[in-house]
Amino acid sequence: MKGFSTKAIHGVRFKPDAHGSLRMPIYDTVSFEHESAKAIELAFGGKRPAHAYTRISNPTIEDFEQKMRLLSGGMAVLALSSGMAAISNLVMTLCEAGTNLVTSRHLFGNTVSLFEHSLKPWGLEVRYADMTNPAEVASLIDENTRLVFLEIITNPQMEVADIKALSAITHQKGVPLILDGTVTTPVLFRSKDFGVDVEILSSTKYISGGATSVGGVIIDNGNFDWKQAPRLAEKAKRIGPMAMIATLRMEVYRNLGACLAPHNAYLQSLGLETLGLRIERSCDNALALAQFLESAPKVKKVNYPGLATSPFNALAQSQFGGYGGGIVSFEMESREAAFRIIDGVGLIKRATNVNDNKSMIIHPASTIFCEYSPEEKLEMQVPEELIRLSVGIEDLEDLIDDLTQALETV
Amino acid sequence: MELMVNGEKVTLEGGANLSALLAQQKVENPAMVSVQINGEFVEKEQYESSPLAEGDEVDFLYFMGGGY
Repeated sequence: MKGFSTKAIHGVRFKPDAHGSLRMPIYDTVSFEHESAKAIELAFGGKRPAHAYTRISNPTIEDFEQKMRLLSGGMAVLALSSGMAAISNLVMTLCEAGTNLVTSRHLFGNTVSLFEHSLKPWGLEVRYADMTNPAEVASLIDENTRLVFLEIITNPQMEVADIKALSAITHQKGVPLILDGTVTTPVLFRSKDFGVDVEILSSTKYISGGATSVGGVIIDNGNFDWKQAPRLAEKAKRIGPMAMIATLRMEVYRNLGACLAPHNAYLQSLGLETLGLRIERSCDNALALAQFLESAPKVKKVNYPGLATSPFNALAQSQFGGYGGGIVSFEMESREAAFRIIDGVGLIKRATNVNDNKSMIIHPASTIFCEYSPEEKLEMQVPEELIRLSVGIEDLEDLIDDLTQALETV
Repeated sequence: MELMVNGEKVTLEGGANLSALLAQQKVENPAMVSVQINGEFVEKEQYESSPLAEGDEVDFLYFMGGGY
């Protein structure tokens, strides 16, 4: 099997179903029985491949993890309750008080909040660099840096960094490169091939098949020697390349309890089967809408890496197989004009989410970034005039009609 | 020869290597297992060249879920 969709649909089943079910059943149970005291002892010690408790592992979740492993080409996968759970669990696995991480000011608002408001009080230092300037990133890495974190296409700035260039720097410095690839998924971007060490996905978005369920994924690509990571070095000497995923499974993830529900794992496995089709349609629609908005006189600026006029177009072309993703952001002349557009749409939903089957529109400055000061919002490049449009898989003509009539209200 | 595998006595032909033990023990998806001999981790590339000796303690470690 070579193609993504073929693998997603026919990918090797990890374990055969007792009744030959073509779909992995939903094991909606908490606990699993063992035949003896010895058997359960071995299972708890990791010396027998058996599920014990769904907060730690479950057959339906394991099946989803194996599908993600096959599709991403990664070495090991852990599924969690959300994308934010994936980020927080990973940072708590690699960092500790007195250490730092290097990231961008252009991040999802909740990720910034996690770093600044939730983890800083525990002693984590957060250093900000322009990820499109690898030399600046390199200058901020020191002996206490535990990871470099960025998003593949920043939202809502729609910025794209050169991942191979960043990977060369982080590997030279002995620090893992962590990438949030939610908006590309392995359909558009195989992070392993670009030197990313760990990829994080909010599987709530494209993967869930149309905003059916919340979930997250951590993919260890197997590129990084965890003996170089101070918190994992001893474990890596004892158990090898699985040190990070094992530490999550047997410690951080287990203790924090951010497990994926088996029912959500089932829905997300189902979503994987149509992922390739939906991403292609969403990206095609997004490019057409970006071009439409760029030609609209009332629109001041359009940010979309798939546009030939985008400063990130060349990188998007080379890294994402010619696609630009399914999110477009654009600026109007004023906040009032932006609100009129949002109030003026009919078909497009006023809602927060990205990469749903439905197109959605939102004003980032007053919603996702509402906890930040005007100065911080400017630093994050989230101006009051900005609108974010997450483009779904509807028929293009209907989307253009909706935006046309909304623009007429301005 | 006799070995201790995940805490239990196992008999294996003398001179066998780690790959032979994995096969004999019918380890499901050996690619997903971390192996220790006498507490020392063994790289996958070294399974064929890792001889076993009388009394060795071998542990197969599983991290249930999407490993390897």
